[in-house]
Amino acid sequence: MTFRQRHLALPVAVAIVAGCLAPLAVLVAFSFYEVEDFDLIPAFSFRAWGELATSATDWFLIGKAVLSGVTTTVFTALLGYPVALALTRLATSAKGLAIIVLLTPLYTGEIVRIYAWRIVLGGEGLVNTVLQGLGLIDEPLKFLLFSPFTIGLVLTYNNLPFMVLAIWVSAEMVDRRLIEAARDLGARPVDAFFRVIFPLTTPGLAAGSLTVFALSAGEMLTPSLLGGTSGATAMALVDNLFGTAFDWPLASALALALLATLFLVASAMAGLLLRLKGARAVIGRT
Amino acid sequence: MEKRTEPALSPLLLAMRGVVKTFGRSTAVDGIDLDVPERAFLTLLGPSGCGKTTVLRMIAGFETPDSGDMRLDNTPLAAVPPERRPVNTVFQSYALFPHLTVNENVAFSLKLRGGIPDMAARVRRALDAVHMADFGDRYPHQLSGGQQQRVAVARAIIAEPRLLLLDEPLSALDRKMRGHLQIELKALQRRLGIAFVYVTHDQEEAFALSDVVVVMNKGRIAQKADPQTIYSRPADSFVADFIGNSTLVKGQVRERHGDVATIDTPLGNVTAPVADGLAAGDPAVLVIRPELLSARGEGMATLTGTVGNCVFQGERSMIEAEVAGVSLRFAAEAPYSIGSSVPLWLDAGRSFITRVAT
Repeated sequence: MTFRQRHLALPVAVAIVAGCLAPLAVLVAFSFYEVEDFDLIPAFSFRAWGELATSATDWFLIGKAVLSGVTTTVFTALLGYPVALALTRLATSAKGLAIIVLLTPLYTGEIVRIYAWRIVLGGEGLVNTVLQGLGLIDEPLKFLLFSPFTIGLVLTYNNLPFMVLAIWVSAEMVDRRLIEAARDLGARPVDAFFRVIFPLTTPGLAAGSLTVFALSAGEMLTPSLLGGTSGATAMALVDNLFGTAFDWPLASALALALLATLFLVASAMAGLLLRLKGARAVIGRT
Repeated sequence: MEKRTEPALSPLLLAMRGVVKTFGRSTAVDGIDLDVPERAFLTLLGPSGCGKTTVLRMIAGFETPDSGDMRLDNTPLAAVPPERRPVNTVFQSYALFPHLTVNENVAFSLKLRGGIPDMAARVRRALDAVHMADFGDRYPHQLSGGQQQRVAVARAIIAEPRLLLLDEPLSALDRKMRGHLQIELKALQRRLGIAFVYVTHDQEEAFALSDVVVVMNKGRIAQKADPQTIYSRPADSFVADFIGNSTLVKGQVRERHGDVATIDTPLGNVTAPVADGLAAGDPAVLVIRPELLSARGEGMATLTGTVGNCVFQGERSMIEAEVAGVSLRFAAEAPYSIGSSVPLWLDAGRSFITRVAT
């Protein structure tokens, strides 16, 4: 990169860093404040941090966010690879259409989708009615709605397009002759996938994973409205502490702790994926 | 068909019969029969779009013929996927795996077969064969084009295939490197005793390397013969035109006596060897290679031409002389001035009368 190119990126870089650091600085300051009669009083108190450190619930919810992010990432990656690879084999004209169809759920808005899921998965919903009609079950399946299963299903569904897009772009960059070369040298299609396609698409997998992890670990609406009793999230707790309980210091401390944890997990994920040989061959050629 | 052109070689390795391949509305390969004997160096030669690469891809298993029969060692290939064919390919773009070192690239096919005890030694031997043993730990992007090509060859021969396919392997290299590698490839093929099927559009390369040259045109085989026969007795005007700097003079066969005929052309009547199947009255083409014309000779000159163009090439000059509306190409030791008159001697006995290509 020349000096001039770096120079051009400077204003945006400054804006991003400032826009990211300034609110964080505010959060850090708030986390040391005190609250008296619903008044935020500037102070240097460790009350909020102490409360957070000893709260099993808070750490359970942070762990749950990580778990939710990681499982959603794994499921979207497992489902996303076949879809992304199928996309690369379409004719160019069909690709545009396929991608628009893939993104359709995102155009509908989250609330609409959530109520649609209730209709599909409810006790008298589409799935249970069909299964009962076919005589496969006698009682409606209860776990379909308001359960961890629901949260996993819907988070995977919501985030799949981001994973597919990221892997697809990466897979399009893999020279098709490399796959032919692998087959020619004795690789069955499954060998060609694990030895050539997967390594060379790890940059896409990394981009998709970071996106999906960030979006799903911080998701609040879907667990709240579809998770039933299992729908508590760290995000909802932060919302509650800021809005209802008016404990801004604790809300700030919890938000910062969540942020730091997710940041660490995401960094580990990126480091792991981008350290693979395939990723280095694609992005590290200098 | 010419019977004399089939060289006596070892037993049949690959047989293709009536193979057709279409892509949408265009027919890439239009019913070809092709035999590849064991240990042969066979070249598919032709302009781009003639179907030669499609033939190669069908042998490798990347394309499935629409109809026809393909057998390797007398086993039908139709249901055999690429990974189970004893055939390996050297790709035009080399197609080295960018995330693997040279050693790992070369070992790729051995690793897929599970634990081969002497793998390192075999990789070393394969790289030695292409003079790349010192580059085992490099990545492909750290190599020059010629070096990548050598690695691609090593990777393709390590599993000891029955047949090696090479798809214009030298086309991306500069002229000097191409010459070096031609000699090496030929020597390697002799040493390994593996049959090579080589695709190129460069007739010099085809002649330099091959035992058998198969000239393709519009999805069909125009001629299959040894290089000398292709050069001196082209099966039709397409082959004659594609092969060299020859002048093609249109005419009509007047009479035929055995292997010799007289053709009526704008240059006058010329008596020369003739292709099989041409009879009196047939339209035909007289093929005059540059070395059959000379501005020096004994006795009366055969023709008189007017110099239309002269290209100085150092040790010689290439002259185009106009005779009765036909432009004849020949080499002369000294340049001629344009417009001057030049006497020409034609060695008619070594020219050739052949069919007009359809």
